[in-house]
Amino acid sequence: MTRMDVKSRQRIQLGILLAPPSLLLAVFLICPLAIMVIYSFLAPGLYGGVEWEYYPHNYGRILGFADPEFEEFDPVYIAIFLRSLRIAVITVLVTLVVCYPAAFLVSRLPDRWKSFCLFLITLPFFASLIVRLFIWVLILKQTGFINTVLRHLGVIDRPLEMIYTEGAIIVGLVYIFIPFMFLPVYASVEKLDWTLVRASQDLGATAFQTFLRVIVPLTMPGIVGGSIIVFIPALGNFVVPAVLGGAKVLMLGNLVEQQFLSARNWPFGAALAMMVMTAVLVLLFLYVRSEARRGDDALAVR
Amino acid sequence: MNSFRHIGKSALIAYTILFFAFIYLPIALIAVYSFNADPVNMMRWSGFTTDWYKQIFGLSNKVSETALYIESTDQLIQAVRNSLTVAAITTTIATILGTASALAIYRFGFLGKRFYRVLMFVPILIPDIVLGIALLIFFVGIGISLGIKTIVIGQCTFLISYVFIVVSARLAGMDRTLENASADLGANEWVTFRRIVLPQVAPGVIGGALLAFIISMDDLVITYFISGVDTQTLPIFIFGMLRRGIKPEVNAIAVMMLMFSFAVASLGLYLRTRNR
Repeated sequence: MTRMDVKSRQRIQLGILLAPPSLLLAVFLICPLAIMVIYSFLAPGLYGGVEWEYYPHNYGRILGFADPEFEEFDPVYIAIFLRSLRIAVITVLVTLVVCYPAAFLVSRLPDRWKSFCLFLITLPFFASLIVRLFIWVLILKQTGFINTVLRHLGVIDRPLEMIYTEGAIIVGLVYIFIPFMFLPVYASVEKLDWTLVRASQDLGATAFQTFLRVIVPLTMPGIVGGSIIVFIPALGNFVVPAVLGGAKVLMLGNLVEQQFLSARNWPFGAALAMMVMTAVLVLLFLYVRSEARRGDDALAVR
Repeated sequence: MNSFRHIGKSALIAYTILFFAFIYLPIALIAVYSFNADPVNMMRWSGFTTDWYKQIFGLSNKVSETALYIESTDQLIQAVRNSLTVAAITTTIATILGTASALAIYRFGFLGKRFYRVLMFVPILIPDIVLGIALLIFFVGIGISLGIKTIVIGQCTFLISYVFIVVSARLAGMDRTLENASADLGANEWVTFRRIVLPQVAPGVIGGALLAFIISMDDLVITYFISGVDTQTLPIFIFGMLRRGIKPEVNAIAVMMLMFSFAVASLGLYLRTRNR
């Protein structure tokens, strides 16, 4: 068998393996995303649908240069965008604070307990998301678990308003994203070199100094990784605000859904989705750049 | 000093117990209250009943005879059937294509390999609402009517990625010398692939398939946008029920779904630890 034969046969094998998934991704992933980008720059048709003309005012409606012929700029959209950002950031911080100490303890456990705890943390990830949110409706609503118990105990005589608030949304987001934060943080904590911690203590650092200047920097990759994979799905989330925020507290995701399924202004919906996408891309870009810089630093030290 | 550390450690343990309680108490709560007889206020305990479970399966019971709480068992069963159909098809397609791309990247060097690797992460990294509406615009634009078919296609675009990642991880940990040994001993490529590579990747493929199945059964956002008005999957059915106002039998459905996914996940994790 000649070398050419082997090479061309390998090429055929590669083609057989790679062509079907590539085709599927090109047609049903790349293509739709590209069309969505184009849509966000088209004018909305009168009865749904689009007009094929360049129309930047979809973004204008959000960012402050609304179509002068039809409407005045209404800051409600930018307000909802900022609220979504705020809720996503708070969710990241809360999950981080909740998971970090637990990750430390779990990493110090004997092996058998360790894997059992990891099993317990991964398990909810496989359970239905909508069901886990539904549980919080039962807990938080006016006639829900907390209110029933508190009234029974005589602590309150009128139900607390917990559901349909920003707080309820954050609780729901934190609850479903805990495994997303725990696992990366745990991976970092587990690798932590405790001799460095001891060295820091021996050299006279207080516990707080050791934590801030040794432990946090060493576990930073896990903190950053976890934050990113919580932030991305939290920002554009529409299920959690739909279930726990009701019609009162809207996030970007709910706006997008409205534009597509009831208002039927698809170009505007696409522009809103592009806002989510842009925020995510900016974040990923910053992450990749800082990783690259960290790589450079490591080389420089060497 | 030592007692300080002791207190710190106890505090940490107490905290971790609280942490797990936060995750599991709500689940325990719903399991208990799914047997609550109170038909109006689901969180006020007024006796034990299995009526809500009977209701789901369309068995006769006191409640359904009052005709007040008939929430179309037929619709529920249809939703479960749709979910299972979709999950079975998507799991098969995604497992084959995801494994194929993982094998291609593992075995061959080619132009754009790095790009391809990044591409495989795209469907997981973009927010699902973005993928959902992009697919909706696309399907409507090219005139495919929404239904089971579009759900299957839409889910495959991101399930491939999950299978790819799981199988790739398995391949990365594989012993390449065995392949060389097999070739040295005169086995042809196909035999080597079937007898050496395949048995080693198999756990990864099964793991990827289980993951794909669970994610498919649970997908709400993307499916919600591309399912059309007539086709409901189980998560969409429940989402709809929650929006219309909750009835006690949702409790029972929820508990059964939790049990089901816990069973599948435990099986998967058990298989993984056994294969190590």
